[in-house]
Amino acid sequence: MNESPVVLSLAKVSRRLSGRAIVEDLNLDIARGDVLGLLGVNGAGKSTTLRMMAGILTPSAGTVCVEGRDLANHPELARREIGYLPEEPPLHGELTVEEYLRFCARLHGIGRDKVAQAVEQAIARCELGEMRHRLTSLLSKGFRQRVGLAQAIIHEPALIVLDEPASGLDPIQALRLRELMRSMAKDCAVVLSTHVLSDVLACCDRVAILHRGRLRKTAPLSEIAALESEFVRIASESPSLESLA
Amino acid sequence: MSGFMLVARNDIKRQFVQPFAWVLLALTCALLAWQFLVALDAYLRIVPKLANVPNSQGATDLIAIPLLRSLSGLLMLIVPLATMRSLAGERRNHSLPLLLAAGIGNLRIVLGKFLGAYALVVLVVLIAMAMPLALHFGTNMDLGRLAAAALGLLLYAGTLTAIGVACSAWTSHPALAAAAALVIGSFLAMLDMGARFQGIDNALINWLSLSTHLEPFLFGLVASVDIVYFLLLTTLALLFAGRRLDGLRARG
Repeated sequence: MNESPVVLSLAKVSRRLSGRAIVEDLNLDIARGDVLGLLGVNGAGKSTTLRMMAGILTPSAGTVCVEGRDLANHPELARREIGYLPEEPPLHGELTVEEYLRFCARLHGIGRDKVAQAVEQAIARCELGEMRHRLTSLLSKGFRQRVGLAQAIIHEPALIVLDEPASGLDPIQALRLRELMRSMAKDCAVVLSTHVLSDVLACCDRVAILHRGRLRKTAPLSEIAALESEFVRIASESPSLESLA
Repeated sequence: MSGFMLVARNDIKRQFVQPFAWVLLALTCALLAWQFLVALDAYLRIVPKLANVPNSQGATDLIAIPLLRSLSGLLMLIVPLATMRSLAGERRNHSLPLLLAAGIGNLRIVLGKFLGAYALVVLVVLIAMAMPLALHFGTNMDLGRLAAAALGLLLYAGTLTAIGVACSAWTSHPALAAAAALVIGSFLAMLDMGARFQGIDNALINWLSLSTHLEPFLFGLVASVDIVYFLLLTTLALLFAGRRLDGLRARG
């Protein structure tokens, strides 16, 4: 982790469902400027962890703090500092890209006088200029993903949480997305989940390997000599909790 | 603009860029207009005879109130269709996380969804009201009674809308939400039917029925107990919907 102020802090975070542990005893700090890749096999608890970070799922135990604010005690203030892109972009298919982003900007608390500027910036950053008047329901997978990303960054949050952002994208689109994530990370902390090692290698500073709902390893990318073998070793220790259920 | 107004405005916009709301409005208008014209035609036929009857009923009794009474029946069908997608549609389209992750609370999301759907329902009521009001240019309508009926219908529609939103919060299938809202609304409207058949009209079961509280408005009586009943039921349904969103956060 770098020396910048901590943006996201998870302390002893657990999530149980019907008595079954999905995520257990998670401790993690992420600072401004960090790009953390949450790596894990299917069912490792990545999406659950991200949803708790984004404030849409309440932990069974432990605390999630964003910019020093506990999500449980100050949910509305803390959520304003978070940009979240779920695995499936949360689009309103009846609206054009521009209309949708205007709504998202207002939803994230941007004042009426600054909405136009915020929308323009998000459109420019995500290269959506040509698509701005298209209905979001008519966009290709890659553009839908970009619109989803634009809504996550439109309010310039301190923390950006991305769930499998590159899934389903073609290699060019994935490359563009990685560049965009790197550029975003200059002003905020980014957490992204993936099971694609090349995504982590291309745009992350740190990697956290989650397996069976537990954080098995967290380290700067440079310190993990052979990420692939490390990941395979951890992932093949035993099947994940979810796949056992 | 507060969070719930933002959600409401966005929902209104989304409704009216789709054909569904327009088709619903057009069909409702056509049905009500047909009934209005039939009633008007019948009224015009008997007007000469009514002129000789002392204290005879006028256009308000013979055209407006029957029209508004059948609107109350139509609302039972229209409202579930208007509300079915409010939250169930968001869940189905995977767009609910956008609202949940934003800095607005669950109750404000529910209130926004309620107002968004209610706007369409209010439009239906206003269009229906415009028909008997148009007769005021040619005859004397009892405007006080019409105002009371409008208030009653708006409160009644508000309650049905809140029930629809609550049903929409409990499932991710809009059709299921519509069916549940229809069943609950119909149940509440017909709750005291059996009691009435047996001549009981002042028991608790009568008080619980929606129609018991709508009827006085249609007769021009505005009683605070009826207003409180509708507001109470509306609030209760919205709280249920809010609880459901709390549950979604807690249980996933």
